[in-house]
Amino acid sequence: MGDLLFNFAEWLRGTFLVDLSLWISETALSTWIVTHFWTIPIMQVLHILAIAGSFAAVLMIAARIYGIAGHASLAETGHRYTRVLWWSLAALVITGLGMIAGEPVRELINPIFWIKMALVIIGTLVAVWFAASLRRQYHTGEVVQGSVKLTATFLVVLWCLIIAGGRWIAYAPV
Amino acid sequence: MYPEPTNIWQSIEYSPLGIFLAESTWAFPTLETLHVIALVTVIGTIAIVDLRLVGVGSRAHRVSLLAKDTLPWTWGAFALAALTGGLLFVSKASSYVINPYFLWKMGLLALAGLNMMYFHLTLWRTVDHWEQDPSFPFAAKLAGWLSLVFWVLVVFFGRAIGFTLSFYF
Repeated sequence: MGDLLFNFAEWLRGTFLVDLSLWISETALSTWIVTHFWTIPIMQVLHILAIAGSFAAVLMIAARIYGIAGHASLAETGHRYTRVLWWSLAALVITGLGMIAGEPVRELINPIFWIKMALVIIGTLVAVWFAASLRRQYHTGEVVQGSVKLTATFLVVLWCLIIAGGRWIAYAPV
Repeated sequence: MYPEPTNIWQSIEYSPLGIFLAESTWAFPTLETLHVIALVTVIGTIAIVDLRLVGVGSRAHRVSLLAKDTLPWTWGAFALAALTGGLLFVSKASSYVINPYFLWKMGLLALAGLNMMYFHLTLWRTVDHWEQDPSFPFAAKLAGWLSLVFWVLVVFFGRAIGFTLSFYF
C-alpha cells in the first residue's frame, strides 16, 4: 500500500498539478492565508463542522430507514435531513477550496487527497441518486426498497472512508 | 531509549502502550480517524437538538422526540470519542498537559457537560408542557446556544492542539 501511494505521489509530481499548485501558492489569497496563522485551523474547524452536518444527516436518514430512529414519517425525516446534507456539502466544498488555496502542494500533490476526492464525487452522486429514490418512497408509506436501505448503509460507510481520507492526507508521502 | 519518568504524565507516555502508540506508523492516525468519526457524530447529533431548541430550521418535529432519536448515537459516539481521545492522550501525555489549548478543550468539554446536565435536571423535566408552544422558554434557547458555542469551541481547541504541540514542550 505504501509503495502504491508513493508511486502515485511520484506520478502526481510529473503532472500539471505542480505548476498549478505553485501558481495557487503565489496568489494573494494563498499568501494571505499562510501569513495568518489561525486561518487554516479555523477553515479546518468549519470543514469538520460541515462534515458533522453531512454525516449526522446521512446517519439519521439511515437510522429512520432501518427503524432505529422513528418518530417522524419517512417523508418528514427525508425532507429535513436531505436539506441539511446539501447545505453541509456546499459548506464542505467552500471550506475545502479555502484549504487548497492555503496549502496547494500539501493537497494537490497528495495521493490520499485524490483518493478522497474520488470518494467525495462518488458519495455526492450516490447521495443525489439516493435522495431521488427516497422521494419516490415517500408515498409508499413505511415500506422501503432493499436497494434504498443498501444505499443508505453504503453512504454511511463511504462517509467514514471520506473522513478517514481527510485525516490521512496529513500522513501521505508528498 | 526513553528517559526515566519523573512525573505521572511521563509514566503514562513512557508506558508500553504509550510507546507503542507513539512509535507505530499507523496507530496514531487510525485513532485520530476514529476520534474524528466519533466527534462529528457527537456534534452533528447534538446540533440537531440544539438547533431545534434555538428555533433554527423546521419546527414540525417535537424536540423530545428528536432527542430520543439522536441521544443513543450521541452517547455511543461520545464513548468512542472518549476512548480514542484517551489513547491519543497516552501517546503524548506530557506534551498535552502543558498545552493550553488541550486544557481549554477539557474545560469546554466540562462546561458542555454541565450545561447539558443542568438543562436535563431542570427544564427538560417539563418539556411536555412547553415543547408545543410556538416559542420555547428563554432558558431552553439559552441552553441550546451555549451547547452550540461550547461544542464549536471544543472542535476549535482540539484542532489548535495539533498546530501548537511544538510550541509547548
